[in-house]
Amino acid sequence: MVKKCASRLYMALIFAFLYLPIVVLIILSFNRSNTRVNWKGFTLDWYVRCFQNENIMSAFATTLEITFIAAILATIIGTLAALGISAMKKRGKTIFLGATNIPLLNADIVTGISMMLLFVRFTHLGFVTVLIAHVTFNIPYVILNILPKLKQANRCTYEAALDLGASPLYAFYKVTWPEIRPGVFSGFLMAVTMSLDDFSITYFTKGAGINTLSTMLYTELRKGIKPELYALSTILFFTVLLLLIAANLNPDKITAPVSKRTVYLKRAACTAILASLVLGSLAIFADGSRFSSDGPSITVLNYGKYLDEDALREFEEESGIKVNYEEYEDPEEMYTKYKAGSIDYDVICTSDYIIEKLIQEDEVLEISYDDMPNYQNLNPDIIDMTASFDPKHRYTVPYFYGTLGILYNTELVRPEDVESWDCLWNGSYADDMIMIGSVRDAFAPALITLGYSLNDTDETHLREALDILKAQSAQVSAYYVDETCDEMIAENAAIAVCYSGEAGEAMAENDHLAYSVPKEGSNLWIDSWFIPKTCQNQEGAQKFLDFLCRDDISMANFEYVYYASPNLSVAENQDAELKENEAVNPSEEVLRRCEVYRALNDEKTVLYNSLWQELIGHSS
Amino acid sequence: MTMKKNLIDFIDISKSYDGNLVLDEFNLYVRENEFVTLLGPSGCGKTTTLRLLGGFETPDTGKILFDSVDITNLPANERKLNTVFQKYSLFPHMSIAENIAFGLKISKKSKQYIEDKIKYALKLVNLDGFEHRSVDSLSGGQQQRIAIARAIVNEPKVLLLDEPLGALDLKLRQNMQYELMRLKEELGITFLYVTHDQEEALTMSDTIVVMNQGYIQQIGTPEMIYNEPENAFVADFIGHSNIIDGTMIEDKLVEILGVKMACVDEGFGKMTPVDVVIRPEDVELVKPEDGYLTGEVTSLIFKGVHYELDVMANGYEWLVHTTQYVPVGTQVGIRVIPFNIQIMHKPESSDEKAVEIDE
Repeated sequence: MVKKCASRLYMALIFAFLYLPIVVLIILSFNRSNTRVNWKGFTLDWYVRCFQNENIMSAFATTLEITFIAAILATIIGTLAALGISAMKKRGKTIFLGATNIPLLNADIVTGISMMLLFVRFTHLGFVTVLIAHVTFNIPYVILNILPKLKQANRCTYEAALDLGASPLYAFYKVTWPEIRPGVFSGFLMAVTMSLDDFSITYFTKGAGINTLSTMLYTELRKGIKPELYALSTILFFTVLLLLIAANLNPDKITAPVSKRTVYLKRAACTAILASLVLGSLAIFADGSRFSSDGPSITVLNYGKYLDEDALREFEEESGIKVNYEEYEDPEEMYTKYKAGSIDYDVICTSDYIIEKLIQEDEVLEISYDDMPNYQNLNPDIIDMTASFDPKHRYTVPYFYGTLGILYNTELVRPEDVESWDCLWNGSYADDMIMIGSVRDAFAPALITLGYSLNDTDETHLREALDILKAQSAQVSAYYVDETCDEMIAENAAIAVCYSGEAGEAMAENDHLAYSVPKEGSNLWIDSWFIPKTCQNQEGAQKFLDFLCRDDISMANFEYVYYASPNLSVAENQDAELKENEAVNPSEEVLRRCEVYRALNDEKTVLYNSLWQELIGHSS
Repeated sequence: MTMKKNLIDFIDISKSYDGNLVLDEFNLYVRENEFVTLLGPSGCGKTTTLRLLGGFETPDTGKILFDSVDITNLPANERKLNTVFQKYSLFPHMSIAENIAFGLKISKKSKQYIEDKIKYALKLVNLDGFEHRSVDSLSGGQQQRIAIARAIVNEPKVLLLDEPLGALDLKLRQNMQYELMRLKEELGITFLYVTHDQEEALTMSDTIVVMNQGYIQQIGTPEMIYNEPENAFVADFIGHSNIIDGTMIEDKLVEILGVKMACVDEGFGKMTPVDVVIRPEDVELVKPEDGYLTGEVTSLIFKGVHYELDVMANGYEWLVHTTQYVPVGTQVGIRVIPFNIQIMHKPESSDEKAVEIDE
């Protein structure tokens, strides 16, 4: 009895661990509030919006195309391979099966990266490369589903058919095929399931502008709260669940006695599926843009959620240049992806210190500002500040800028308490404080407090900073980057170190929040555009940059992200309230005491990272 | 019996798998309307012979004639013969009727013809009314009978049977043996049957081909094979025998285990080493003083019809079948009448050496 109870409890726990997170996701998809923390009543709005969102729908279409084309191709190839393997002698069979299973056992990320390297060597990443990758990793699933059926079928029946006068093809169709069909079908469903939710491999092999649901979810979720995505995830979860159930049920159905009616139903279902697949593939081939690119185009790489997509459409219409728009989250990741040479980008927006590094590495082309009439719309003071990473001002166009500071809850904290970085170290907000979870941003306040520059790379100085941070870690409730905004909206902490942009977002959600840049100074970041050496269409890229500098476009983008814009007219023409908002528009006085990060050389990067590991190890 | 013409000729067939010679210079003919059984232990090449004829394998050298036409390279589906496989060869997703109709549909027979044939074939194998049953619902014996029905509706000139009864239990196997013989009589076609079961072979065949290690050891009627095995392998394989080293002293006199015995064989020369075969049922147990040699019963097993005894005499353990009850430890005399002593040459040709390896 006790044993039974214990085993039930154990099962319950396992199911809880497996499914509770998904349950939370599903519940949130019905939450009227668009934050993760508050329940504000039931709604189906997110599902409606999910289907209205162009981004999601295009990713959805791409996913379906890739999934079904890949699954069909993999099923055909896998079936043939399984037939071949089953006819092999034992030794060859073992070797072949082993080789086939490697992609199954291999970490997805390794498969993804190695495929990317291979593709980059011979072609450009795009829809087709993702497709090839998917076919590749689907094949083993198909083979493994078919082989047991072939074993069951045994050669005897095939030979018996030949013996009765059937040609090899007829024998296969009439005898072998019906026996392996359940395996082929479940193999196909497995392939669909795998393709549908693959992330790693897709992520590495996709080209600019190609997004499947999983890669789109990844970038979008990191950008912030968008409950449409919970709705989408919920739909995705149930789709995969249904497919898996279908894949597992299918073989039993085949062996069970079948009535005429079910046979007809099944035939009808199969026909319907096939027809939709054929139509789907036709639609794709009709949309030839996936496979060939006619006319001028540029490939743009930008931070996620950092540009009003309507502006992109406008640019395409006006210039006749097609834009392949791609987004990334983490600048280091962008740097790696760029250096891998997987995609030939024409114009990229990124952080100041990354640009400095790329300029040093001679990866950047000069911009001819004379061909950009709108460039004069930008604030010369801000352009001057880019000198820290683009000293002779030859390579960059500033896009947005902002500061690092303290987001605080005015109910719990007085403005004067956060005028200095001291509030982070003096223990007044023990266990009520969120520290920023990125290396340089965490060290910057400590270095400044010690009276050093935030670009100081002297190891003893950095170690002093580490000591402060170590002492502080006991009082820190968490090191966050992406979650800070939500936590502060939910009032789970009194103060948090974060970027002005995030602070502005949080303040829009919760009136109790305010932002301060401490008097000792802080980091000023300037995200800028540059044209990389890989550029294939420099004229188009320059046109695009000029377009971004236009007053109306700058305004549209400002209203999309609400970060400080270097465009003079944007600064002029916004609400008084926004102008005053330090989190959106740093005052000149604030800017004066801020400093831009300088690029670190490899040695210092390693040092920083090891110090960071030491801190994290200490705090946990 | 009139001489019938050869329907199948295997001419100098050799076949090896991965360097293992399975058939070596194999020659065999099968006449029309004959029941020929290929008999031998596993690995003797009998199944390969059948598969070569069925068209599932191609010989490395040599050729196969069917009705005097070379069919060595003809694909399986174009050969005018049908096979009944060991087991599990019915198409599981088809009904019994569909299974039987498979070959007929390929040869584009009319619907009516096919229906009649199915009825006829099912009647022939005593499974009337099974048309719409599923394969799974049939017993092993029924499945094999359907497999036979499926083969014979195509009216092949030869029916190849590859250990078709191997998977069945003893009782069923015996019933099926009679069914097969009846079928052969009714259909009047040639049967080429493969088995490792000597009893099956003896029961059904017109001709038995005993094979070992890719060589034919003996061809003959069941009686010939049983009573006059040509070598120790055949003797040993066809029932359990006493095979004893002996010396042919002269015509009609042989010495074994130090005892001279009268026999009926001639022409072996004088003082020739030979193998002597004496069947267990031919050994007579008599009083010790009446025997050629004397020994002691060392084991006794009741076998139903007879007892199986081991008798130790002159350093050789004799296998004896007798209806008498002779308790273990009894001293007995052994006698064999001259007609029941079978003299065989010692192996010397390469064919016969294979026998030695096997032993």
